Amino acid sequence: MRPMRNTLVLVLVAACAASACNRGGATGEAAKPRIALVLKTLNHPFFVDMRRGAQAAADRLGVTLQVQAAEREVDVEKQMQIVENLIQTGIQALCITPSGSREIVSALAKANDARVPVVVVDTRVDEKAAAAAGLRLETFVGSDNYEGGRLAGGYLLKMSGGKARVAILEGIPGHETGDSRLRGFRDAVKDASGVSIVASQPANWERDQGFNVFQNMLQAHPDIDSMFACSDLMALGAIEAIAAAGKTGRIRVIGFDALDDARKAIEAGTMAASVAQFPYEMGQVAVESAVKAIRGEKLPADMKVRLELVTKDNAAAAR
Amino acid sequence: MTKIAGPVPPVRDPGRPSPTPGRFASARQFGTVIGLVALSTGLWILTPHFLTVSNLLNVVEQTSINAIVAVGLTFVILSGGIDLSVGSLVALSGVVLGSLLHAGQPLAMALAAALVVGAASGVANGALVSWGGLPPFIATLGMMSIARGAALVFTEGRPVSGFEPAFRVLATGRVALIPAPVIVMVLTYIVAHLVLTRTTFGRYVYAIGGNEEATRLSGVSIRFHKTMVYGVSGVTSAIAAIILTARLNSAQPIAGMMYELDAIAATVIGGTSLTGGEGTLGGTLVGALIMGVLRNGLNLLGVSSFLQQIIIGAVIVVAVLVDTVLKRRR
Repeated sequence: MRPMRNTLVLVLVAACAASACNRGGATGEAAKPRIALVLKTLNHPFFVDMRRGAQAAADRLGVTLQVQAAEREVDVEKQMQIVENLIQTGIQALCITPSGSREIVSALAKANDARVPVVVVDTRVDEKAAAAAGLRLETFVGSDNYEGGRLAGGYLLKMSGGKARVAILEGIPGHETGDSRLRGFRDAVKDASGVSIVASQPANWERDQGFNVFQNMLQAHPDIDSMFACSDLMALGAIEAIAAAGKTGRIRVIGFDALDDARKAIEAGTMAASVAQFPYEMGQVAVESAVKAIRGEKLPADMKVRLELVTKDNAAAAR
Repeated sequence: MTKIAGPVPPVRDPGRPSPTPGRFASARQFGTVIGLVALSTGLWILTPHFLTVSNLLNVVEQTSINAIVAVGLTFVILSGGIDLSVGSLVALSGVVLGSLLHAGQPLAMALAAALVVGAASGVANGALVSWGGLPPFIATLGMMSIARGAALVFTEGRPVSGFEPAFRVLATGRVALIPAPVIVMVLTYIVAHLVLTRTTFGRYVYAIGGNEEATRLSGVSIRFHKTMVYGVSGVTSAIAAIILTARLNSAQPIAGMMYELDAIAATVIGGTSLTGGEGTLGGTLVGALIMGVLRNGLNLLGVSSFLQQIIIGAVIVVAVLVDTVLKRRR
């Protein structure tokens, strides 16, 4: 009697999983090539856009797209499990935005072993780690984050006339995207003697941490007049902290990603600029490249997706 | 045997092996095994990719880290406590290990240091609970934050990556097809099971969780044994950290977030009572496998990761609900 109940319950769960799967249409389309897209997360607008672009390309090219992500963005181990599991299902190509540039290497090596071509999207795989593991990657599809950081830094120089006291909100330390943006920004402003970076701390890509960290920075350095955040979510959090301190409009905020909320803030004048990436295009190019890789075509090592500085002049137009 | 009403010392016959699991526990455990078999059968019917040797090895390997952390949690929960710090201890032991390896220390020394850091943090948890009189929830909540912060300070927030093949073999090695993490997991379970069922310490763990006051009156040092219980949890977190670091070829200060919840889930799905005194390690292992098989199966079926969370949550709730209902019936 007792074991029976447990059995019943788990059979129910399995049935539930089955119906979910059928609705997703993952079965029954075995004839089409299957491509997997493994994202960092599915609950960030950036990756939601990327997924839409990838799906559009998949529909156009007649391939089945399977999208998966770990529950938490920082959980590389779960992302690795997802890759291992997808390889088991016999996918023909893998597109991935690595949650960890070095950590993901061993999972991608398993894809190599299973002869599944790998297209890296948005976040680069660490070159040394990849070389050490003898990894073969078809191509990298993404923006040049270093260039984006330079774009932001250049705009700050232009706006401030070369005199600024800058605070920086960094992403999760050790993440390639944030590190590259940071390097680009620092390189762009390093020769301007009037620009000094008074504070630079991680807010781990999160809105609420952006608020708290920037509030603390303002406490320590009330004379901050400019800030660069390696992502818009952190910048948007910082804007709230600026409002709470009654300094709205007196601090130039430059973000990254040009999310919808950030564009609205730019139109409203609470934010100065943001570097736009085009995740929808990244998703498209990723799937197109994967299809080419399946056909055995040779791809360039890098496929750059355009970047654009969004300011008050073009914020509405681009939306 | 588990809940003793009066001040009767529960441990009077140290010659008897494993006094506590009893008929209920074995029936419960049997139910969990049947659940695992039913789940696997369902997946076998639904997808041709589930029941293959490579996928099954895959699942067990993926389960090993959570299963090892859950060993310590089973000890703690059996004693009537809880340990929320295990995920942070995985990160802290991991970065100590990684940094020492990077500094060129010998492998054995780095491994030992990771285990010592885990054990010492666990013992600190235990001391706060037994001598400090803090509720385990609070003591280990504090440690969760302290250890996470220590890991971040220690590494300045950056991951430590790239290790020698001699170390990575702990994740990549195979002995007759069996992945090394699985071997480590099995060894951990065998040793822990023997400790729990064949030593006086193990019996006291059950006794303290069953009736702490009675156990104290029978002359057992509650403080010492409770402290050791949390020490065990620290050690198993460190073992998990070793495997995780080898698997990712990187020690991350942000690793292991929310591992405590996965391990608690495996333990309670496996039939260990959150009020202490009841449960087995075998149950915990099956509980961890149920979670691993479920995640793997949902990936294979292409179920969206949002739905996966709902399903996993439902399984946890239902497993404990079944327990509660059965207990009320008894």
